Amino acid sequence: MAIQTLDRTAKQIVLTVQDYSIFAWRSLMNLFRPPVYWSDFLMQSDIIGVGSISIVLLSGFFTGAVLALQSTATLSSFGATSVTGRFVSLTMIRELGAVLTGIMVSGRNASSMASELGSMVVTEQIDAMRALGVDPLRKLVTPRIYATITMLFFLTIVSDAFGILGGAAVTVFLNHQNATQYFSMAWEGLYFRDIAQGLVKPLFFGYIISSIGCFYGMKTTGGTQGVGRSTIQAVVTSSVLIIVADFLVTHVMLSLWPS
Amino acid sequence: MSLSLLTELEPLKDTLPVVEMRHVTLSFDGQPVLTDISFRVAPHETRILLGPAGVGKSVLLKLINGLLKPDRGEVLLFGDEISIMPEQALFALRARTGMVFQEGALFDSLTVRDNIGYQLIEEKKLTDEEIDAKVRESLKFVELEQTFSLFPASLSGGMRRRVAIARALINQPELLLYDSPTGGLDPVTSTNIVSLIVKQRDVHRTPSLLVTHRLQDAFTMCTHRFDAEKNEMVPLPKGETDPNTTFMMLEEGKLIFDGTLHELLHTDNAFVKEFLE
Repeated sequence: MAIQTLDRTAKQIVLTVQDYSIFAWRSLMNLFRPPVYWSDFLMQSDIIGVGSISIVLLSGFFTGAVLALQSTATLSSFGATSVTGRFVSLTMIRELGAVLTGIMVSGRNASSMASELGSMVVTEQIDAMRALGVDPLRKLVTPRIYATITMLFFLTIVSDAFGILGGAAVTVFLNHQNATQYFSMAWEGLYFRDIAQGLVKPLFFGYIISSIGCFYGMKTTGGTQGVGRSTIQAVVTSSVLIIVADFLVTHVMLSLWPS
Repeated sequence: MSLSLLTELEPLKDTLPVVEMRHVTLSFDGQPVLTDISFRVAPHETRILLGPAGVGKSVLLKLINGLLKPDRGEVLLFGDEISIMPEQALFALRARTGMVFQEGALFDSLTVRDNIGYQLIEEKKLTDEEIDAKVRESLKFVELEQTFSLFPASLSGGMRRRVAIARALINQPELLLYDSPTGGLDPVTSTNIVSLIVKQRDVHRTPSLLVTHRLQDAFTMCTHRFDAEKNEMVPLPKGETDPNTTFMMLEEGKLIFDGTLHELLHTDNAFVKEFLE
């Protein structure tokens, strides 16, 4: 009995991975074959990008502020509080800006994509769209994927900038250090490899968030309860995959440009 | 359409079918839903699929449109074998059919105008003014002109079904599929919906397949015609039935009856008899 359950679960996992791979690949490739729904792309960019600015801005600012607070305590024991700016900017740009923005956007948008598409599935709106001769993958999924990738790239830059500002606020107003020193350290410590690492990651994270959110939404079964289940699965899976992808991308980037 | 024209219509069984199913079988998670289903829908023919809830009526309808694929057997739509077609190739075929879903399946974030004109808007072949005109014409057919700018949430259940019918009709489909269009509606609204379906059948003579578990609706369709002069559905003379409206019945995924109203009423099948009673 236990072996049968294990067997069934393993098959289910393999099947889901297979379905997801086909779904994600087709959604991505749709951009290169007409029709391309540019108006839907712009609308989704507005919903995902502009709509997420406030949470990204706040989370970025306070993450930078906390980094400055925590690092000062440690750095002061070595008499190295002057490098706070460098520490905050490197951590934000290389790692936390992209990851935190990814997770925040995942919480907001993967859930919204899964619940929106899931509701459309259970009320047969997706079937109606197919019956009317319109490909829901092309109309609903592809614009969301490209909008998320594009917007997450810019949101990460906003998060990095506000993280550095948050660190500056703590350094100047709480630790009473020099702002010029903070910003010059933050700037001087940056190299191309750091910025490349920070800007490549959101491209992967955006793809993960949107493809997972849309995949679980389109796979919804079981009425309104199923919509709730899909939403949870979308947020949990995309958040975990962001962390896993972060490790893999960092590993590859570090082997390409060793510090 | 006059009665004389209606009675001139002969059963059209021998012409090339619009829909044909050959030994179709489908299972979900190992559970058989449809088993060895074979039937045809001829041009201008209206087929009514009867059966209690949960016997696979809606699934069968979705197989015809390629929304589901059979495990075994062949589904021919307009002469093309669709069960082996890729999804991309199916969109053009589906655009030639109109489907009315069980709960209407209207896009809740779009107005009635955008719902009905959805297919035309996506095709981008007509101007906004031309689409508006076609939408109004379609709304006039279902007598809901006043709902043009409303959202589906502000419509009653019956109005939503009528909008769904208008959406299915706007592109003058070559086949109509109705999935329980009167399910969950009160008797008066149900009769209004049946009247619209009869109107479409008799005015445009579009072949159709209607799924229902309501015997009253099925019999009304067979024993009534649409009177264009009175603009209402009227009963056929006593003893007469529409020759191109025939019945099928499903029981636990199997097709147990296929024939005319007369054959349905005089069958020996115990399940059909029980269902009719």
